[in-house]
Amino acid sequence: MSTVQSQSPYHFLIRRVHSLLGLLPIGVFLTFHLLLNLTARSGPAAYDRVIETMRHFPGIIIVELVVIFIPITLHAVYGAWVVYTGQSNVLRYGYARNWFYILQRISGIYTVIFILVHVSALRFGEANFASLQHFVANPWGLAFYALGIVLAVFHFMNGLWAFAITWGLTIGPRSQKIWAYVCGVLFVVMSVVGLADLSAFLR
Amino acid sequence: MAENKEIRLKIRRQDGPDKPSRWEEFTIEYHPKMNVISCLMEIQKNPVTADGKKTTAVVWECNCLEEVCGACSMNINGQARQACSALIDQLEQPIVLAPLTKFPLIRDLMVDRQIMFDNLKKVHAWIPIDGTYSLGPGPRMAEVKRQWAYELSKCMTCGCCMEACPQVNSRSKFIGPAAISQVRLFNAHPTGEMNKHERLAALLDDGGITDCGNAQNCVRACPKNIPLTTSIADLNRETNKFALNRWLRK
Ligand code: HEM
Ligand code: SF4
Ligand code: SF4
Ligand code: FES
Repeated sequence: MSTVQSQSPYHFLIRRVHSLLGLLPIGVFLTFHLLLNLTARSGPAAYDRVIETMRHFPGIIIVELVVIFIPITLHAVYGAWVVYTGQSNVLRYGYARNWFYILQRISGIYTVIFILVHVSALRFGEANFASLQHFVANPWGLAFYALGIVLAVFHFMNGLWAFAITWGLTIGPRSQKIWAYVCGVLFVVMSVVGLADLSAFLR
Repeated sequence: MAENKEIRLKIRRQDGPDKPSRWEEFTIEYHPKMNVISCLMEIQKNPVTADGKKTTAVVWECNCLEEVCGACSMNINGQARQACSALIDQLEQPIVLAPLTKFPLIRDLMVDRQIMFDNLKKVHAWIPIDGTYSLGPGPRMAEVKRQWAYELSKCMTCGCCMEACPQVNSRSKFIGPAAISQVRLFNAHPTGEMNKHERLAALLDDGGITDCGNAQNCVRACPKNIPLTTSIADLNRETNKFALNRWLRK
């Protein structure tokens, strides 16, 4: 019936899966990750106990693979391709949304680097309160972490703004604007939570 | 307006697609109510640069001179717009003219916007009514719908939205916001709606609607104020429904 022969039938699917992965599970994981780490504020002993419990959870590695590693890898690899196919022009068109467009890409790339360092040091290295405490005792280490948290949260919240367009939820300029404010507030709240996690290690 | 006695222009010149480019400056006499096209016409009459060197006339394209054909699009002081509606009195000098960068250059300020017309063909931006017998009058269109659809029909394929879009470039196949918005226009038409599936299917393709990165420059660059980002979001919803439905019925 249709006379149109789609040349790459998977293109649409891949882009939509990429978008969905950003929220489910990655965004949801990020939210829980930042909230759970508030336990660090109760001190080293409590925090290390939580980590030990998690590490000995049966099948934890499967959960980590399915909920964290595989989705983030897929999203990051395809995201890098998306970054490559764009060509920013903020110097000529300095609109706020155009800045958000490039910041979405910069924050994505920074997040890859951050996750690689964060995971290799804490998941595969020695995961305890003291090791992160040692890392952020260095001002550069602290800046690296603070930026990592804020940019990951930015990427998630600006992504959530775009997500609503990708899925056809916010259609007109007014609904997009209201949703942008909501995402802005969520960005502030989640950044505060993330930085509060981090501040627990500054002692 | 003593300081306005002359107009200074800086124009990017290039003799052909594979030739090197250069900048040339011109000074022409000021007349009230001039626009960029009339300045280019002055240069054509007397192609001499500001420092007195003889040069060739600057090549550009124009037709309607009233911002409805889209032929005269170029970068004027860094922003893509129509030369015919760019009034000298409202421009900062020297006025910098450069060709659009997202299309193959022909010469000087003239580019080949063929890709935009090819993209309209890709998405079936027309209503098929040819047949072997008269099909009779089509269904009526609701007035409220006609009002917003009319806004979309103002697109003149000028390319300003393509120039402003970060997702349109040599590394991407993105068809750009203009063609996407035309899908919304033709799908809104009561007769055009009958072939909705063909246009939506075309948008699922590589370079289709998913390649928009939501930078939203297009809607600001459009001289016709076409709600491009609304069209994109609306068609995101339509293509999602269409693709899911098609998949579930396979
Ligand atoms: C903290 C982990 C991450 C989260 C929570 C996350 C979340 C999201 C979300 C929700 C979106 C919006 C999808 C949409 O437009 O519909 C998105 C888009 C995007 N993400 Fe991520 N992401 C993460 C990591 C990354 C990484 C590591 C990269 C690698 C560069 C990346 C690159 C991108 C790009 C380029 C887009 C824009 C896609 C587009 O415009 O179509 N993201 N992300
Ligand atoms: S909203 Fe989409 S089409 Fe419009 S300029 Fe941005 S990326 Fe391009
Ligand atoms: S949508 Fe606007 S900017 Fe784009 S081609 Fe049409 S008239 Fe020009
Ligand atoms: S000459 Fe037609 S738009 Fe300028």
